[in-house]
Amino acid sequence: MTKLNRRQFSTLLGSTVAAGALSMPNITGAASHGAKPKVVVIGGGAGGATAARYIAKDSKGAVEVILIEPTKRYYTCFFSNLYLGGFRDYDSIGHGYDALANNHGINVVHDWAASVDSSNKSVTLASGASISYDKLVLSPGIDMKYDSVPGYSVEAQTKMPHGWKSGTQVQIIKHRIASMREGGTFVMVPPPNPFRCPPGPYERTSMIAHYLTKHNPTAKIIVLDTKPKFSKQGLFQDGWERHYAGMIDWIAPDVHGGIKNVNAATMEIETDLDTFKADAACIIPAQKAGAIAALAGVTDGDWVPVMPASMATKADPNIHVLGDASIAKSMPKSGFSANSQAKVVANAIRGELTDSKVFDARFANTCWSLISENDGIKVGASYKAGAEKIDVVDKFISKNGEDEATRKATYEESEGWYAGITADMFS
Amino acid sequence: MVRAVAILSLAVVMSEVTCANSAGVKGDFEYGQYLAAECVTCHSTVGLDKGIPAIIGWEEASFISVINAYKSKELENPAMQTIAGRLDDEQIASLALYFASLPEEN
Ligand SMILES: Cc1cc2nc3c(=O)[nH]c(=O)nc-3n(C[C@H](O)[C@H](O)[C@H](O)COP(=O)(O)OP(=O)(O)OC[C@H]3O[C@@H](n4cnc5c(N)ncnc54)[C@H](O)[C@@H]3O)c2cc1C
Ligand code: HEC
Repeated sequence: MTKLNRRQFSTLLGSTVAAGALSMPNITGAASHGAKPKVVVIGGGAGGATAARYIAKDSKGAVEVILIEPTKRYYTCFFSNLYLGGFRDYDSIGHGYDALANNHGINVVHDWAASVDSSNKSVTLASGASISYDKLVLSPGIDMKYDSVPGYSVEAQTKMPHGWKSGTQVQIIKHRIASMREGGTFVMVPPPNPFRCPPGPYERTSMIAHYLTKHNPTAKIIVLDTKPKFSKQGLFQDGWERHYAGMIDWIAPDVHGGIKNVNAATMEIETDLDTFKADAACIIPAQKAGAIAALAGVTDGDWVPVMPASMATKADPNIHVLGDASIAKSMPKSGFSANSQAKVVANAIRGELTDSKVFDARFANTCWSLISENDGIKVGASYKAGAEKIDVVDKFISKNGEDEATRKATYEESEGWYAGITADMFS
Repeated sequence: MVRAVAILSLAVVMSEVTCANSAGVKGDFEYGQYLAAECVTCHSTVGLDKGIPAIIGWEEASFISVINAYKSKELENPAMQTIAGRLDDEQIASLALYFASLPEEN
């Protein structure tokens, strides 16, 4: 069958765009007797901001929504690599919470949740205040398991940043790369599975290579992986060969024998193969659910088991956990996934609290990565709620050998997606 | 040449649309609004057209035929093919109804 691109198709179709007819949404079943049901959302990131926004929006004021998030400005991890590569400035990846309060009546509280008392259904904040809930939503993201890398620690992370929660750490990485000596060495240690953003360390490697190719072309990048293979590996390695030949040395764990020690004072990374002296480094340790999940008593090991159709935790039906903190197998830990799961959570909670219609749970994900200027790749899938896990319905991935126009369009899609998802979280 | 072949393919798409219409599948606004949440992670709801096209304020029939063209893989984008691939006629009609209702703000 002959394939058309959308421009050819639209031309053939004639004028596709008609004047938009305004019609009023007709939300049914919002019961409001007595006090409003109350939802507390902890964490205003990809999962939490979206969940708060959709619960408030779709319940049309019938549910009181309180969002607890310590930072006043959320800097996305997504596109933080593009900031490192010089494709974005730092301000452009920061987003505030005003619209969630002003447009949707969400009560945004800038504080840390310090503990959860699930038997009394209340949350205590760092300030000491306590807030009761009918439903609690946790999307606290990740915390680092510092001791997963021998020698690594909270103290070491300023000299050897992970930069895996965006923020200052990523700015430090940028600064370190910019001040590397000519022909210096950058060492990257990616984390073991499961972790936030599977293609992330390799997109970061690409973006740092892009920066160095322009500003310090004799510099080297050594990637000491803790895994034998990684996401979109063939696509990344093909791209590294085409754009950065000779600059990046990816070394598998069976070759280097494991990370034996990292020393932030001497900037040395010790393996069986060799001790690597870094001019700048990025050490990304193993990860676990944000600490509040364990404090709420809903974790099993490092992460939180949930029911696929509602993301309610297996431990407590009134606590829903989504995003990176949850075990959402087969979905990867991504911002897109967290945003998608938030809609499933909002649908389930709105339905339960306002006695309104609950629709079928459906999920989707796409992770774009930028290898070099206008050379974008993507991997994605659609999912449905199975009995025990979230099942893949269909999936796709970019291919080696795609033409330049396709790779450029893929990169441009990611820009469109960034505008879309951040509006879907914060507008 | 490409164009002639394309027009032929279009005729096939259009006849599929006619079938769907004559089957009388009706969209449900509220369902469309729910399903649309999946779309707006990528597509702007205020008609921003940057990297990913704006899809608000379309005539329903055109919207339905375009989604069906991704579903049948006649239109190429793999992300959209995956999204459209699992939509049934009722879901597509509901999405068309919902997105047609969104005002074009710019
Ligand atoms: C370098 C990099 C690149 C990435 N690129 C992409 C990409 O291109 N596409 C993509 O889809 N994903 C990407 N990701 C992944 C994405 O950032 C995460 O998967 C996503 O942010 C997860 O959302 P979340 O809601 O679980 O956590 P977060 O977005 O991290 O939100 C958690 C929030 O909870 C708050 N919080 C934590 N504990 C508490 C507490 N006790 N009280 C109150 N608030 C609390 C935090 O302050 C934070 O704001 C990338 C990640 C990295 C590191
Ligand atoms: C992963 C991101 C993504 C998601 C999610 C997504 N789309 Fe798309 N959509 C795209 C991209 C990219 C294109 C342009 C594809 C092309 O060039 O053919 C597109 C194109 C379209 C078009 C054709 C627009 C035009 O001008 O030709 C329509 C209609 C559409 N999408 C509807 C939807 C609907 C309805 C949903 C939700 C059920 C949805 N999309 C979900 C990325 C997405």
